Amino acid sequence: MSDHEPMLTAAAKAERAAPHPTAEISLLMDVGSAWTKASVVGRTRGRWRIVAHAAQPTRWGEKALVDVLTERMREAVDHRLRDEVPAILEGAARITCHTPIRPGRLGVAAVTAEVSGSAARTAAESAGWVVVEEAAADDGRSLPERLSSLTAADVDAWLVVGGFDDARPEQALEAAALVAAARRGGRTPVIWAGSAALTDEVAACFEPGVVASIPNPRPDASTEDLAPLRHHLEELLDRLVESGGTRNLAPIGFRRTIGEIAREDRLRVVGVDLGARYATWAFADGTVDPVTVESRVYAAGGMGSPSLATTSAIGRLARSLALPVDELAVADTLQNMRARPASLPYSEEELQVVHAAARLRLAALAEERMPDSVDLLIGSGRVLAAAPTPMRAMRILLDGLRPLGVTQIVLDGAGVLSPLGSLPDDEIAEGIAVLRDDLLVPLGTTVVTRGGRSGQLAIRARLHLVGWPEPQTIEVRAGQVVVMPLPRGERAELDLELEGGATLPAPRRTHHLRAEVTGGSVGLVLDARDAPLLLPRRLDDRREVIAGWLETLLREPVPGRPREVARERETVRRGLRRFRVGRDTQGQEAEDTTTEDDTDTDDGGEQDS
Amino acid sequence: MTFERRMSEDGEPAIHRVPLPRGAVPHVRTGSQVRPDQVLASRREVGDPVRISLTRPLARRPSEVAELLLVTPGARLDPDQPIARGADGREVRSPGHAIFLTYSEIDGSALLVLLGSETPVIGHVHGTVLQVTRGFISVAVPGARLEGVGGTGDAVHGELAVAVHTHDEELRAGAIDVSAAGKILIGGSRASAETLTRARAMGVAGIVLGGILDKELRDFTAIQRRRREIGGMTGSFAVVLLEGFGKVALDAQLFSWLRAHAGRMASLFGEEHLLYVHEAASPPLRSLMAEIGDRVVIHRRPFQGRSGVLVGVLDDLHETPSGIPAVTGVVRLEDGRLAPIPLVNLEATIAPSRH
Repeated sequence: MSDHEPMLTAAAKAERAAPHPTAEISLLMDVGSAWTKASVVGRTRGRWRIVAHAAQPTRWGEKALVDVLTERMREAVDHRLRDEVPAILEGAARITCHTPIRPGRLGVAAVTAEVSGSAARTAAESAGWVVVEEAAADDGRSLPERLSSLTAADVDAWLVVGGFDDARPEQALEAAALVAAARRGGRTPVIWAGSAALTDEVAACFEPGVVASIPNPRPDASTEDLAPLRHHLEELLDRLVESGGTRNLAPIGFRRTIGEIAREDRLRVVGVDLGARYATWAFADGTVDPVTVESRVYAAGGMGSPSLATTSAIGRLARSLALPVDELAVADTLQNMRARPASLPYSEEELQVVHAAARLRLAALAEERMPDSVDLLIGSGRVLAAAPTPMRAMRILLDGLRPLGVTQIVLDGAGVLSPLGSLPDDEIAEGIAVLRDDLLVPLGTTVVTRGGRSGQLAIRARLHLVGWPEPQTIEVRAGQVVVMPLPRGERAELDLELEGGATLPAPRRTHHLRAEVTGGSVGLVLDARDAPLLLPRRLDDRREVIAGWLETLLREPVPGRPREVARERETVRRGLRRFRVGRDTQGQEAEDTTTEDDTDTDDGGEQDS
Repeated sequence: MTFERRMSEDGEPAIHRVPLPRGAVPHVRTGSQVRPDQVLASRREVGDPVRISLTRPLARRPSEVAELLLVTPGARLDPDQPIARGADGREVRSPGHAIFLTYSEIDGSALLVLLGSETPVIGHVHGTVLQVTRGFISVAVPGARLEGVGGTGDAVHGELAVAVHTHDEELRAGAIDVSAAGKILIGGSRASAETLTRARAMGVAGIVLGGILDKELRDFTAIQRRRREIGGMTGSFAVVLLEGFGKVALDAQLFSWLRAHAGRMASLFGEEHLLYVHEAASPPLRSLMAEIGDRVVIHRRPFQGRSGVLVGVLDDLHETPSGIPAVTGVVRLEDGRLAPIPLVNLEATIAPSRH
């Protein structure tokens, strides 16, 4: 012991003589409607990294979040700074964004429900508004009924639409009059986006200065241009609902960061952010100059979307599960998810329902909007970030969006894209560059084909891995999905030959293709299941097929060997998982319950019902 | 049920907003004391549309009348209010309370919508009016306010009555008889669509439940909507769920509190998922962040609606059966068994004495 004393003393002296370390950190926070995500960005070994991350229900409050971050920081910082962590966090520069406090509420009066009404709804819903009431001359209701419903609506703005530009339909004036009657003065703004010939007459229905005239989104039977209306609605929403500026809004920040990533890397990038209430879709094309960025913000498009609670959605969802969960349980699970969006799926059944709901929402988000091919697909949102395995997150994106072609898939695992987008324009690129290593979690690369003849060869792929003398050859039949391990950070050359009518989208509509693919926590996914997914009509067959895909995707990869659909796979787990609770010591007990066999029914078993 | 700390902590009344439809005329002022059945405002219902010829009385062609109009589309008209006037003094007047919608240059007619008799806007709560605006009247309600997680129907009020024996009992149709008319019933873990239909038919004002199957609530709502569309449905009815969807028991502590307040006046708001119990003591509080030692209610299957005590929090993240790693608490259920539950799936219930 005494031998060591001089050394200890020297070490202590050296430590005392060394300058006291300092910490330079920033705190990135995304305050969502259900979950708040926070990441501490600090300098470690000369590089900026995410040194601590935490996510917790927003309603737990900031103090609880800072406490968790403090604990995690203490594990990461120089030991001499451990006591100073709370003060360091307190003084950290904060880059914060949040989900809009509430959506804008819009009342719509239209000439026709299917033409002008539909266009108005599409434009409004993609600009962050919720249409709380819609009345159209042909919606089957009488005039008094339409007036009553509009009168009862609590709205932030009115939108009147209808009539082609060369027409003067009386119904359009009637729609304006209905809004004038329902509005009864006040400050609520009115937007007229209908026949240009009626602009003056519509404006005359209201007080001077109330009506904003926007170019008709349906100027004639063959044209639909929603952009001016959407742009105006976005501006109006900023002014009415978020008067403090919109840069700190998560959907806006997300769009800006996606645009910057596309610009930096000259890629075609699609980003989807699936939150509890909001859903944001952004597409940025960095291959053109100037870079184009378009986005859609759905205020009621997230996991709590009312559209998931409809009978048809519930039925569709139940039919898309690998497990036999009945529609009653699916409906209750969805409603509980809406009622308590910060809670977590506890059982496998609940998880499958929630993930199926996420796929359904993504499919709705991408409908007629997914570009033919993109280079990079970024998934964001708690349902993806909290998926139990990367493959589960990959499956939600893959099955929900069906990105055709060769696409790298990544996750915004720490939820930092939206806060980064709230930085000033010139700092977003810097923020991305600084965090490059931690910004996105690469899941891997997918190859999704369209078409193909069922059961016949669709893809023949040769994967040239660095250091492997012979390329691996993989054959994928139409209807199959195959996963090849390709670790994070690895790149490989992929030769693709398409057979049996399977195609890749233009400009890669060719039978032979060579592409560079990037690895990730999932690897390389060769997917010949068509787009949209083709499933058998019979429920049992459908469930069998879905279970087969799930099993393939979730099976642990064997290096050098593809995961592919087993011809004689195990029986699909049927019935409901059981959980065991007991009377032993709590810690031991907690361990027991997670290692429980699915079919175990011993003491005190409690069945999910 | 969600957390409502204000009333219980400092004894302040809950604030309820009564929305006013556009055009409603308030009959109360700030500071007024209001009863649940009191008319707070009134409005005229939209009636039938009528077309009035303007050309004949004004002796003008249709194209000449537009410039003679005295009102703009959407304007409200009083009886005998002039709609159009010619240079020679000829006038066309409103046949009654109406809204002027449009003028047609094709046939020279004005389209009006007649307004019917006045209909009352009832607040369904008692208390003191705090604010009167164009859009709402806010009332300070001396009592307890419970926020549910789901519901359907109108605003109703009535005497609180308990219709089940235990917090986890299902409310059966047979438990509802004529004595329940006009009352707000406390059910248990579930009620079928049949039970709700019978309750409505028996004149029950509303039902408060721990849970209900979403399908049955949707079925019941659809039945009510169809009945309303074909007419003949009278009276209002509301259902509010306090715990969750599915068969979910009311928390035993909350059930005891509700039972202790049987006989009090209560107000139920189906669409807003709200229950007010007037002149009531503080209810058990809910806190979303449970601490060790707290009594907790579990919100996800398979333990949904079960309660227990949080006896510990595991040091590391613990994988749930779904595979999601989460900060996990160990809950000793009321039957003595232990279960690891993610903290985010728990709500602490704090008895009134501990507020």
